[in-house]
Amino acid sequence: MIEIRGLRKRFGAHEVLRGVDLSIAASEVVCLIGPSGSGKSTLLRCVNFLESYDAGEVRVAGQLIGYEEGPDEIRRPMAARRLRKMRREIGMVFQHFNLWPHMSALNNVAEPLRRVRGLAHAEAYERALAMLTRVGLADKAHAFPSRLSGGQQQRVAIARALAMQPNVMLFDEPTSALDPELVGEVLEVMKSLAAEGMTMLIVTHEMGFAANVAKRIAFIDEGRILDDGPPRRVLHESPEPRVRQFFQTYHDRNSF
Amino acid sequence: MSLDVLIRYAPSLISGFGVTVMCWGVGGALGIALGFVIALLFRLRIAPLTWALRVFVEVFRGTPFLVQLFLLYAGGPYIGLRLSATAAGVLGLGVYSSAYFAEIFRAGFAAVPVGQIEAAMSVGMTPRDTLLRVTLPGALIAATPPIVNMLVVLSKETVVLSIITVPELMYQMQTMAAETFTAFDSIFAMAAFYWLLVEATSRVGRRVEARVTAFLQEEAKPA
Repeated sequence: MIEIRGLRKRFGAHEVLRGVDLSIAASEVVCLIGPSGSGKSTLLRCVNFLESYDAGEVRVAGQLIGYEEGPDEIRRPMAARRLRKMRREIGMVFQHFNLWPHMSALNNVAEPLRRVRGLAHAEAYERALAMLTRVGLADKAHAFPSRLSGGQQQRVAIARALAMQPNVMLFDEPTSALDPELVGEVLEVMKSLAAEGMTMLIVTHEMGFAANVAKRIAFIDEGRILDDGPPRRVLHESPEPRVRQFFQTYHDRNSF
Repeated sequence: MSLDVLIRYAPSLISGFGVTVMCWGVGGALGIALGFVIALLFRLRIAPLTWALRVFVEVFRGTPFLVQLFLLYAGGPYIGLRLSATAAGVLGLGVYSSAYFAEIFRAGFAAVPVGQIEAAMSVGMTPRDTLLRVTLPGALIAATPPIVNMLVVLSKETVVLSIITVPELMYQMQTMAAETFTAFDSIFAMAAFYWLLVEATSRVGRRVEARVTAFLQEEAKPA
């Protein structure tokens, strides 16, 4: 579903992604873990081209994103309309929720359905309410984001992305801005999504979630994937010293 | 203080107050409209246009309103722009304030968090929809308090119009003072009228602010 090959990206003199290969099959859940500044968020943002990339390719459902493939090896930036069409099929959940504060929870979910999917008013609101029900927030449909807790806001954001019926969901540290108490409710929703077979790429620091829900963990450091495999192996028996060292500090911190 | 003088001059004072409110209202509306257009044009990021707008804003913010008004009213005829005193006054207020309003709207746009725009992009919203549904509402909400503030400032700038004989409140007061030698009374009445105007503006402004930021306090009405 997502094919990333030889991906490179630089910000000025700093090369953030230095040749990343990663593929995610349909219905697969992959957690992307790494220290801060490792390039994991940038990598995720390249998948829906919120971040452009310099070399390599990112394919979603077989189609290269962000660039048009010509017959002549030279690639041109993709037409905006085609990029928008691809983005509709890729759901994204942000660390800071990024809800639209002047719209109610229901309107946040219905807005893209109306504007992008072109659904009629009644149909859009019906689907939006169904999505809010699904994330357990039907009773908060008319509340503005400022009246919701972080966990509730993030669940609305998930409902907004999900309502578009995407092929793939991207999560950019979805629980990092939440109080520890509120993390669970968001992870619960993500877990149920995974159980339903959604293809998910998740940047996270939630090792427990990664261990239990992900099919694979990809460990990224300094713009390179250092290890990529089943959670148990990457978390406990990685052949890479850097990966072992990273998780060792994590294990130490959590042994109480 | 001679109340009988004020009563005798009441009709002209009230008419002057009316002219003041009219000049302020129309000039302010013109300034807001023009300033909004300027702020939108800034967003196009066309280098020569941006540069020209920058010069416009800096010139009208950087020179006294009195000077601008004189140039427009007295200098206008030299370039074929013949305006009545009132028309020149309203146009002057509009153009002068548009420079400030343009900056207010620009700041409003800058106040919309980039994450909200990225969220719109990530679901595939068009730039037009993103502007109309996400950026613009956020920008206008952020701009409301400084707009009200600028309108209050502008209401007091209207006194300058008396210099080019617009028959507004200041002008009528000066006439009264000159004809009856009641300098103190006229100044006192002036202050009262303006206080009334500013107080009314502030009150309306507070209501508008409360209205546009309602989503921060209450639950929305069912859609």
